[in-house]
Amino acid sequence: MADLEKLITVAKETVSRDDVKHLIGWRQGTYGFRVSPHFITEPEEADKLIFSPLCNSNLVNYLTWVEKLPVPRGQEADTRKVALMVKGCDSRAVVQLLIEQGIKREDVIVIGCPCEGVIDLAKAEEMFPNVLEQVEARWDGEKIVFKLPDGEKAVPREDVLADKCLRCRYPNPVLSDVLLGDEVKTEGNDDYADVDGMEEKTTKERWAFWEEQFSSCIRCYSCRNVCPMCYCEDCILDRLNPTWINRSNNISENTAFHLARAFHLAGRCIECGECERVCPVNIPIMTLNRKLTKEVREKFDYDPGTDPDSKPLQASYLPNDQENFIL
Amino acid sequence: MNNKPRIGVYVCHCGANIAKTVDVEAVSEFASHLPYVKVARNYAYMCSDPGQLLIREDIKNEGLTRVVVASCSPRMHELTFRKTLAAAGLNPYYLEMANIREHCSWVHTDRDEATAKAKRLVYSAVAKARLLEPLTEKEVEVEPSALIVGGGIAGIQAALDIAAAGFKVYMVEKTTSVGGKMSQLDKTFPTLDCSACILTPKMVDVASHPNIELMTYSKVEDISGYVGNFDVKVRKKARYVDMDKCTGCGACAEECRLRGTIPNDYDMGLGKRGAIYLPFPQAVPAKYTIDPDRCLMLTRGKCGKGPKCVEACAVGAVNFEQEDEIVEFKVGTVIIATGYEIFDASKKPEYGYGQYPNVINGLELERLVAASGPTGGEIVIGKGDKAMVPKEVAFISCVGSRDDSVDKPYCSRVCCMYSAKLAHLILEKLPEANVRIYYMDVRAFGKGYEEFYDRVRREGVHYIRGNPSEIFKRGDKLVVKAEDTLAGRPLEDEVDLVVLAVGLEPRQDAREIIDILKLSQSADGFYMEAHPKLAPVDTATDGVYLAGCAQGPKDIPDTVAQAKGAAASALILLSSGQVKVQAQISIVDESTCRGCGFCVEICPYGAIELVEINRMGNMAQVARVNEALCKGCGACAAGCLSGSIQQRSFKDQQILPQIAVLGAMK
Amino acid sequence: MSEQFEPNVVAFLCNWCTYAGADLAGTSRMHYEPNVNIIRVMCSGRVNPLFVVNALQQGADSVLVSGCHPGDCHYMEGNYYARRRFTLMKELLDYVGVDPQRFHMSWVSASEGNKWKDVVGEVVKETKEVGSFEQFQRDKINW
Repeated sequence: MADLEKLITVAKETVSRDDVKHLIGWRQGTYGFRVSPHFITEPEEADKLIFSPLCNSNLVNYLTWVEKLPVPRGQEADTRKVALMVKGCDSRAVVQLLIEQGIKREDVIVIGCPCEGVIDLAKAEEMFPNVLEQVEARWDGEKIVFKLPDGEKAVPREDVLADKCLRCRYPNPVLSDVLLGDEVKTEGNDDYADVDGMEEKTTKERWAFWEEQFSSCIRCYSCRNVCPMCYCEDCILDRLNPTWINRSNNISENTAFHLARAFHLAGRCIECGECERVCPVNIPIMTLNRKLTKEVREKFDYDPGTDPDSKPLQASYLPNDQENFIL
Repeated sequence: MNNKPRIGVYVCHCGANIAKTVDVEAVSEFASHLPYVKVARNYAYMCSDPGQLLIREDIKNEGLTRVVVASCSPRMHELTFRKTLAAAGLNPYYLEMANIREHCSWVHTDRDEATAKAKRLVYSAVAKARLLEPLTEKEVEVEPSALIVGGGIAGIQAALDIAAAGFKVYMVEKTTSVGGKMSQLDKTFPTLDCSACILTPKMVDVASHPNIELMTYSKVEDISGYVGNFDVKVRKKARYVDMDKCTGCGACAEECRLRGTIPNDYDMGLGKRGAIYLPFPQAVPAKYTIDPDRCLMLTRGKCGKGPKCVEACAVGAVNFEQEDEIVEFKVGTVIIATGYEIFDASKKPEYGYGQYPNVINGLELERLVAASGPTGGEIVIGKGDKAMVPKEVAFISCVGSRDDSVDKPYCSRVCCMYSAKLAHLILEKLPEANVRIYYMDVRAFGKGYEEFYDRVRREGVHYIRGNPSEIFKRGDKLVVKAEDTLAGRPLEDEVDLVVLAVGLEPRQDAREIIDILKLSQSADGFYMEAHPKLAPVDTATDGVYLAGCAQGPKDIPDTVAQAKGAAASALILLSSGQVKVQAQISIVDESTCRGCGFCVEICPYGAIELVEINRMGNMAQVARVNEALCKGCGACAAGCLSGSIQQRSFKDQQILPQIAVLGAMK
Repeated sequence: MSEQFEPNVVAFLCNWCTYAGADLAGTSRMHYEPNVNIIRVMCSGRVNPLFVVNALQQGADSVLVSGCHPGDCHYMEGNYYARRRFTLMKELLDYVGVDPQRFHMSWVSASEGNKWKDVVGEVVKETKEVGSFEQFQRDKINW
């Protein structure tokens, strides 16, 4: 489990450094089970940092989301390091960004948090509805303990954790400069049961399912915006020349959008589940992404975001890649 | 000027070839109503002079800015019509073709269906033509010189040919002498020419040719640039002997305190040399070198009361202060002739190589039978009391060839014949000996090879079909355990000497050149040619050619032939002095490129690199295309997630409209 | 739907192998179905997998991508990249419920005019089996 005292000490030391711009971590949100990202530049702000089962967002996004304003003449761009707290899954995004040269290793300080799983907000809110006061939470073996207004409640982890955590293969950061606390034991079992379930349906049934899902899409692009791997300066799906997809919200454009988004993540998706977490209409986006992660693992023996020295999947090949579908 | 494109569509009848099946009138009538089309005509033969004139006149009179020709395959006449456009002052890349002959009139019989398809193809071409951009074919100057990496027979031959044509050649050889593996051979199959007799004159020519600058004991550190303009950096290692002063007299080597103590690589370690040495008497250049790993002065800073070589050298050539020298120069073309290594037989432990002194490989036997070798050409195994002249000799073929267990599935092409040759030489020197060759298949494919194979069999060399499973010691003898698969019986054969016919493998340091030039390797690890049949000396990198065993196992005639081929290819570039580079190449939008490097990884030609640019004060990494290296395949464009790299003439914005009209014409 | 459904197939062919193979089929006067509309690219490696999604949207009933046999690519590696990309795209399309008969890939060399004819036959036949593509086709807009 992550060591909170160490977190505060490390954070204070880190932000005191001259070569560090800021540290990004989590702090308590404004109400209920929510957390907020916490950008700190001063040591005293470090006390608010938390790491708990509530920290379900992936902060890696903020590494590439920095708006680079024009630098006035005579001044220099701020190239100081950014320190960042990551869970196991988040750390894979850092590694994948390194593979894709989205960031430079020397520009980030990775504060690794061994993680025993974070909550699915919907599950927690269903269990404890209408909690407006700030809730705290901690891990306790097989339970998650919530500090609610009416006292502590221990809940079995499988009832409240996000699905991705229940099948997590990387609870410990695959890369970090500082590790907070001891490593968590890895169960390491993901049988892709969700994907298998979908594959077992007939083609017609699958389309019926996805047609309904894609029809409900409001094309808010939250899934793309929150994805740590979607960091193009100018997304082709926003572009007018050439127009890959039209603006209209209908099954044709929505499907094309989802296929393009999923395909652009093939061999790159690190399964942090942010896209699905933020979807306002609850499209099971990970069920789509995970089809490709499964294929990528089975067909190309590739696990994105685990080996900084690996080549990007779609920018490499093996002469004996399978090709049984080719006429 | 009005910027809207003005398109002319020209539908060809091709006599009756198209017109018989496709209603060309209907197609041109259809085309005339398409967006931006100003003129649509049909004519009997568009490629004929009057046909081309029609297009040229329209370009002038109608102010056409794009031309669509619906006729045969662009593979047939694209160049013809590009020239037509150019002749009328229009950029030749403003042409788009619709293939309504090979892909339509010739393969369909129903006139209505064929006409409908021709309309679709024409519409698709018009949709793309509207968006075509003018392109220019750049020409780059070719530096009139060549770099040849490797001084074996392949490199030597290529160097002599290029030098003879009057161009400057830089030859870089890693060891202290040119000559390569061929210089280690005694005689060559099937003619039994003495290897040294045919090779040494060429070695001397290389050193003395006024157009060749020979750099031995040197290494290529870096090659950058592109066809016609390569910048080369070579490290000349310190020899600790002044090349200009050394006369090659050898007095130093006579005096060296370590004389006769260091195994000589040239003799496969069977002979010994000193710390200052000439690898073999005919070495070129005939200049001595001090082995920095062994010399007492260089390793310990002390050699008795003073280095004897210095004392012995009458011209004062020994210089322990000498340092590596970096030489930089420009060349227009590069030939890689780095050769091969022999398979390390100890990777087949069942044959006991390295364990039993009388199990040797073919190249070791080559040195033993050579008159210039460590034994003066006597076939003697072991030394002193244990010295033995073998009577029973067994060869084993395909050691490290055609063998999946050691990841060498390929045939090394020379082992069958060199085994036959060595067997012949043994019988010549030891007429009493019994020689047998264990083989899988005998491959005697070259000119005079089968005849030679017949000859050695008539001379008494016994061929046994079977792959020995094991070699072990029994008393003084070695036992070859095998199965004679033709007779169908197992046998245990007691012999005095086993010769392993080891195969050829890529050099251990093959990666160095790959990293420098971004060459590809074939599955066997040798450098990959651009096309296995039609471009066997070219590589994917323009201006870089392959010669000899660097590309794959070869015998000497094939090596020389390929070297001459590589030289001819290089000379085409050098003598024309200019090279045209592709126009339909990739281009990066640096404002949207995110610098992920996918395209860099994908590009088979190493044509893309990442560079830092300044985006309003912020440094950003973006891809940049080297226009001389790009061949215009477009693989980068399909792999680019942000669509920032595009292939000219095949941009997303040019292909998507084609898809749109073809889809809409349902 | 009309009695005899005639599918619209959009095909992306590499210039050096399949396009040339289709040329050969023409030169050899082989006869095949007129439903395949060819877009020429220099290499199968140029074909962006999203072209397939776009073609289906734009009205294609199925899509074919064809290049050189492995090891024969004019640009050495392009078809290997294409193979990887389309392996994944094919799985993805199937997964969301697009009939697998709507996407095809083939290797046809410049000497395989016969094979090109067979591939066209196969693709057209399979497309006919699944009928007109309606799942996420774009509405036709008459400007």
